Amino acid sequence: MESVAIEREIGAEPQRRGRAIVLTSGKGGVGKTTTTANLGTALAERGARVVLVDADVGLRNLDIVLGLESRVKYHVLDVLEERVDLDEALVPDKHSENLRLLAAAQSREKDEVQTAQMEALIAMLRERFDFVLIDCPAGIELGFRNAIAGADEAIVLCTPEVSAVRDVDRVVGLLGNRFKPQLIVNRLRPQLVKRGKMLSIDDVNGILRLPLLGVIADEPEIIITTNRGEPLALRKENPTGAAYHAIAAKIAGEDVPVPMPPAAKQTLLERLTSLFGGGRS
Amino acid sequence: MSGRRIVVTSGKGGVGKTTTTANLGATLAKRGRRVVLIDADIGLRNLDLVLGLEKRIVFDLVEVAEGRCQLRQALIKDKRFESLAILPAAQTREKDAITPEQFAAIVEEASAHADYVLIDSPAGIEAGFRNAVAGAAEAIVVTTPEVSSIRDADRVVGKIAAGGKPIRLIVNRLRPEMVSSGEMLSVEDVCDVLAIELLGIVPEDEDVIDTTNRGEPIALREAGRLSAIYDKIARRLEGELVPFTTFDRQGLFNRLMGALKAG
Repeated sequence: MESVAIEREIGAEPQRRGRAIVLTSGKGGVGKTTTTANLGTALAERGARVVLVDADVGLRNLDIVLGLESRVKYHVLDVLEERVDLDEALVPDKHSENLRLLAAAQSREKDEVQTAQMEALIAMLRERFDFVLIDCPAGIELGFRNAIAGADEAIVLCTPEVSAVRDVDRVVGLLGNRFKPQLIVNRLRPQLVKRGKMLSIDDVNGILRLPLLGVIADEPEIIITTNRGEPLALRKENPTGAAYHAIAAKIAGEDVPVPMPPAAKQTLLERLTSLFGGGRS
Repeated sequence: MSGRRIVVTSGKGGVGKTTTTANLGATLAKRGRRVVLIDADIGLRNLDLVLGLEKRIVFDLVEVAEGRCQLRQALIKDKRFESLAILPAAQTREKDAITPEQFAAIVEEASAHADYVLIDSPAGIEAGFRNAVAGAAEAIVVTTPEVSSIRDADRVVGKIAAGGKPIRLIVNRLRPEMVSSGEMLSVEDVCDVLAIELLGIVPEDEDVIDTTNRGEPIALREAGRLSAIYDKIARRLEGELVPFTTFDRQGLFNRLMGALKAG
C-alpha cells in the first residue's frame, strides 16, 4: 500500500484507476452473486484485470459460485486488519487468468467492517485492477452501506416479480445520484411472460425507469453451474453465457445491443391451434 | 394461554421466507387457528404484497414500537380469513428503528390473542435478523437445495441453536427431475448437512411467482398441489405425524422413454 502511495506522490506514472461497480438489489436471491461471478469471468476473458469482492461478511458465497471455496485462505477482514498483504489475500481464479477473488470473512459480523476501511480497500484495488466488482449482501443494512461505500457505479439486479421491483426501487432511492445505476433483469421466463403469468421487461422497467444493461433468462443450467463452481460465462456457445459476454461488452463501453433472451417459442398446443383453428380466431 | 411464536428465516435471501410465511399462515388460518404474521423486514417489506394487503396499511411495526398506535390498530385483517392478520413493517425506516426488546414485546403482545405468531425475517444475519429472532421461541429455517443456500442456512442454524430454540427445516423449491438426474441436491443431502428436524418439502412451482404477484397465496387454491403440501406442513407443526410426500423420481418423459426402450 505504501509503495503505491509513494509512487503516486512522485508522479512518475499517472495511475489509471479502475472502475468500482457494486452489484446490488435489496431483495435476496435475485442473482447478485451469480451475476458478479459471470460478469467478472466475462470481463476477464476480454482481457481486463478483474477483482471480485465478496461484501457479504458472515454469509459469503461468491467463492462457491467460482469453485474456489477450498482455496480461500484469507479474507477481507484479514486485509483490513493488516494481518496479511492484499496480494496474499487475492485468490487466483481457476479458469480465468485475469480474475481474482477477495473473499468475505465467514465467521465474523458485518459491523466489524468500517465503512471508511471498505472505501480504502476499494481505492487500493482500483489502483491494480481495471474492474472491481463488489457483490453486495441482501438488504439495506450496514452490509449494504459498506458494499456501496467504495463504488462509483451500480448495477441493480431485478427479477420480474412485484416484490423484487419494490425492493429495487427502494435501493435505487437509497443509492441516490452518485452511482448511475443500470439495470439487469434476471431470471426472465419468456414463456411465462407470454402467458401473462410473469411481469414483462416493460412492466419492470416501466416502474424502475433505468438504463437497461441486459436481460438474462431463467434456466436450470445456472443452478447446475453454480453448484459446480463453473460460471456459465465460460461457455460462450451457451445463450446465457453469451448474454453475460454481451453485458460485459456494454460495461466496457462497446456499442452492442442489449442482450435479450430469445422470444418464447410457440407451445405445441398453440402451434396446433394456429394450424387447425386459424380460420376461427 | 399465549400462542406459539415462530420465526421464519434462512440467511440467504430469495429462498422463499415471505412466501412460506404467507402460505403457512393462510393454511393455519384455514384450519381455524388464530394467526398473526409479522413482517420484520423494515425498509424492504413484502409480506403485505404477497397477501394482497398493501393498500390497506395504515400503521406499521415501528409506529407500534414507538407507541404511536396500539398493536390492534396496526394489525390488518386478511380479506379471506377473519382469523388471519398481519403487522406490516415500516417501509421508509431502517432496521435499527426498533430494538430487539421492543420487537420481543410486540411479539409477546400479539401472541396473547393468537394461536400462532409467525415472524418473517429479513435476509442476512444483521440487526433485522436479530430483531426477528428475539421474540421467537421456535424457528423454521427455509432453504433451497443449493450449496450457497445450505451454507447460509447452516450459519443461521448455528446462531439460533446457540439460543436453544427448537429449529425445523423446510426444503423449498425442490425440482425432483433435477434431483433424479443428479443436477440438484436431494432432500437427504440437505438434511445430512443441516441435521435438523424436517418439517416439509415444497416443490418448485411456476405458479408461485404469479400468485405472489397477484397477492393470493397459492396454498388457498382449492385442491392445488401446493395447498396439500402446506396443509401437511401445518399439521406437522401442530404435532401430527404426517408422512412426507415422495416425489416421483422418474418424470413422465423418462418413464415413457424407459417403457419404449424396454419394449
